[in-house]
Amino acid sequence: MVKNTHEIRDAIHTFIQFDSDERKIIDSRPFQRLRHINQLAMTDLVYPGATHKRFEHSLGVMHLADRIYGVVTHPENVRPEVSEVLPELSNEDNLRYWRKVVRAAALCHDLGHLPFSHAGEKEGLLPNGWNHERLTLEFIRSDEMRDIWEALTPPLRPDDIAKLAVGPKEGAKYIDSVFTDWQAILADIIVGDAFGADRMDYLLRDSHHIGVAYGKFDHYRLIDTLRILRPPPTENGGQSQEPTLGIEEGGLHSIESLLLARYAMFSQVYFHRVRRIYDIHLRDFLKEWLCNGQFPTAIEDLLKVTDVEVTQALRQASLENGNLGALANRIIDRQHFKAIYQRNPDDLKVNSDAAQAIYTAASEEFGAENVRKDQDRKGGGDSNFPVLSRDGSIISSLTLSQILENIPEAAIDYVFVDPKCRIDAIKWLKENRRNIIESAKEEGHEAVE
Amino acid sequence: MRQLNRLGKNAIVLSLAGNLKDAGSWCGETHLQKAVYLLQELTQVPLGFDFILYKHGPFSFDLRDALTAMRADYQLRFLIHPIPYGPSLVATDTGKQFQKRLSSVVSKYRNQISFVAMHLGSKSVTDLEKLGTAFYVLKEDDSRSQEQVARRVSELKPHIPIDVAREAAIGIDKIIGAYNSSY
Repeated sequence: MVKNTHEIRDAIHTFIQFDSDERKIIDSRPFQRLRHINQLAMTDLVYPGATHKRFEHSLGVMHLADRIYGVVTHPENVRPEVSEVLPELSNEDNLRYWRKVVRAAALCHDLGHLPFSHAGEKEGLLPNGWNHERLTLEFIRSDEMRDIWEALTPPLRPDDIAKLAVGPKEGAKYIDSVFTDWQAILADIIVGDAFGADRMDYLLRDSHHIGVAYGKFDHYRLIDTLRILRPPPTENGGQSQEPTLGIEEGGLHSIESLLLARYAMFSQVYFHRVRRIYDIHLRDFLKEWLCNGQFPTAIEDLLKVTDVEVTQALRQASLENGNLGALANRIIDRQHFKAIYQRNPDDLKVNSDAAQAIYTAASEEFGAENVRKDQDRKGGGDSNFPVLSRDGSIISSLTLSQILENIPEAAIDYVFVDPKCRIDAIKWLKENRRNIIESAKEEGHEAVE
Repeated sequence: MRQLNRLGKNAIVLSLAGNLKDAGSWCGETHLQKAVYLLQELTQVPLGFDFILYKHGPFSFDLRDALTAMRADYQLRFLIHPIPYGPSLVATDTGKQFQKRLSSVVSKYRNQISFVAMHLGSKSVTDLEKLGTAFYVLKEDDSRSQEQVARRVSELKPHIPIDVAREAAIGIDKIIGAYNSSY
């Protein structure tokens, strides 16, 4: 007898189960390509254990998204005021169809990642209007995947999968600018800011492989307490009826742990200064190495480019003289630029773009080719969500939790210089920092975008 | 298309938050989202945020990211209220100083900011949800009658009953009319 249920052993979730339909997705070329895309780009140059791939992460997201879907749609967990405005919750055929869509979308949510994930996506390495979400859509809508969707029982609509896989921000641009309340909740299950399976899996998985404890949290308890709820009131008489994902009061400590884990992982891993400069050096190399300085967007071409091919090119170039060799050796020989400046609250009080002022002045002093800047703010991160209290009322999470109220937002502003300038640059900055920051004018001008 | 840079956008959003608060608004994220939507799409302040129909009507992930970044940059903070209410967003001292330093940008759009704050400052989150959605629906197709707008609002947001959607269609027409007759 042919087996219809399969399982893969996983470092985080022990076993991940899937059916024969999903096996076709996993065995497809676009999904198998994820075996060769590092989850954390070149983070292994700082944390050597960080060599896990988008392949196992995508399986993990499917596993968690399915558990969340099962909990929030379970009849015992659906409140009457929610089922009134979400008729989808009362239709069993509908629930079965969307469960398959959620699992497929979770599997496919990262299909469009370029080599070295986010590192390869910035500064013009893709044509205007392209990003990994749009490439994910292209994969989901490709002939190869379309054949799989049509052969499933029941057949799945590619755009349903695509909408949930990339979420509303990008899905609205390329598929449909309207997300129904139901679709918005399902997309939140996979890629949502507060409770998304994507975030849960990457925090657990990344911290496991890196070897740090601060990325862990009690995801079992967290998932068991997730509910679809009305939002909390904002003022007297001001409570929207629009349903959204929230949590039972008993899960509040778990979500506090998740958001603290996220802050710690961003501050100490994702925003680590050495990791960030390697991303910049990689982009410098890719601009020179890629044909016309850009990645291809055609599916067949993209299938041929993974971390393996780029790593091979870096190693080959590092043996050669010339500009490409020098760029490669920033990474291969670890001749990376060094940080001389990072943000602090005192500077930001005086000048909200202090790092830009330092970067501009340093470029004039030491030459633009010897200076790099990196600026990033962790986006999203909505810590205000509804909590179902023990007395049945809906309360804002921020009024219940001082921890959520006080978790800082992770952000970076770095200025790096070539190691050959480092000592001079540190001395120069010590002497001129205050004057540079105070004298630089912040400008809020209009420009052509 | 011309649009304000990051610092200009931040200064405008901080000013709008202050004006809304002065006009009696609770000024949570939803209030700011809908007010910025009208500021950008009705009064044409070139903020360049991408809006889609999502949480409680028109919603911009870019704006959410900008608000988060402004909190990271110490310009904006949550003001926590007693149980069960959600938070307000208010400018910090650093944010107020920043706004002063960029007063030339803010003063260029002062009339538009005042107009939006005056018309939305007293609105609750439920009012803003239906008004914002009605305006979004009109922007989809500005030939729609009030009845067509109301039906589309109720179709897109099933938790908004048709009679409430009709009030929203009338309400947004009044705001548009007031803006067109003033500017």
